[in-house]
Amino acid sequence: MHISEGILSGPVLVSGIVVAVTGTAIGLKKLDFERIPRAAILSAAFFVASLIHVPIGPSNVHLILNGIVGLILGWGAFPVILVALVLQAVFFQFGGITTLGVNTMIMALPAVCCYYLFGGLVCKGPRIALPAAFACGALSVFLGGIMVGLALIFTEENFLKVSYLVVAAHVPIMIIEGLITVFCVAFLKKVQPDMLRGLGA
Amino acid sequence: MKKFCAINQRRFSALNAGLAALIIFCALWPGNASAHRVNVFAWVEGDTIHSQSKFSGGRRVKEGVVVVYDLGGNELLTGKTDDRGEFSFKMPRRVGMKMTVQAGTGHRGEWTILADEIGDISGVKAEPAAPVQTVSEKPAGRAGVSGVDRDEIRRIVEQTLDRKLKPVMDLLVETRDTGPSLRDILGGTGYLLGLMGLAAYLHFRRKSAELETEKKD
Repeated sequence: MHISEGILSGPVLVSGIVVAVTGTAIGLKKLDFERIPRAAILSAAFFVASLIHVPIGPSNVHLILNGIVGLILGWGAFPVILVALVLQAVFFQFGGITTLGVNTMIMALPAVCCYYLFGGLVCKGPRIALPAAFACGALSVFLGGIMVGLALIFTEENFLKVSYLVVAAHVPIMIIEGLITVFCVAFLKKVQPDMLRGLGA
Repeated sequence: MKKFCAINQRRFSALNAGLAALIIFCALWPGNASAHRVNVFAWVEGDTIHSQSKFSGGRRVKEGVVVVYDLGGNELLTGKTDDRGEFSFKMPRRVGMKMTVQAGTGHRGEWTILADEIGDISGVKAEPAAPVQTVSEKPAGRAGVSGVDRDEIRRIVEQTLDRKLKPVMDLLVETRDTGPSLRDILGGTGYLLGLMGLAAYLHFRRKSAELETEKKD
């Protein structure tokens, strides 16, 4: 879900930067000191997750983990994903420096959405929490695909086609991420249930 | 309070261990190198330019849209990569070129071919400084006696070189793309831990400043 440099037009890049900066500002404000180590570890997980490559589907896809990042950090997902994307751009040449804003928006906005949608549900009993966790992991990837389509709307023109392509390529990822999120939520509920309340509250 | 802290600490370290295990698992995943960067590699053979495009990790870019520009940014030609990610074309003009490959859904890569690489077989006067040419110049002088055209010799030399260099070029294409290495991964995680340390440092500096002022009061 990293858009390369040299594809998007100026206005799209600028609006991406505006959204990313706003989200990061809100996220940093809500990220109190006690949550810094948590954020750093999740950032590292996000950074490395891109290397898990799933060789199914027409395009090249990898894990994203934005669902679990959003679930645990809420708005804190913005700074965490931004930092990880900077490192990915520098070390792996995934995405690029000019597209940082857009790419942050593509992956962090669904994370925040999922936090508001499922943050409350995963605190309930396992019969609600576990399906909610699966939906959270899958939906965050799905929304990311829609965001890619939106970002490319001014360059590749056909929003539905691009979104369909990206989402179709990510179906296996959606299932895997759903399962990973279920696993994480089940683990957290046992080990540290208060971590699931995120930062937004 | 102390007891609570101890419990909390234990839980937290269990949690961190879990997440750290996840990260290590990711880093050591067998299919390691992955997606998203498009690597383009192009080389000259005679009057043709061959190119190969791959995603990092080795998957070929199929049906990628290729656009070739001159270095001034004027479009020269367009095309599509085949099933093996390859695309070849005859040079329309012997100038430096920039090749871009769009692999769809936001993926793009590019490669620049400098005028130096293109060489010169058509007999058009080239800059005399190029080292390859001084090599081919000598036999040309001698051959002039036996009546063989100087350009002819130059062409033969170019062709032989192209043929001999082909395996080297193939090797270059193969080895150029290695994807992110363990060094990159560890470097990135190191930066993140460093940022965490920086945050901790700033936090405790502020904290100790607060304590200091309290003491003075």
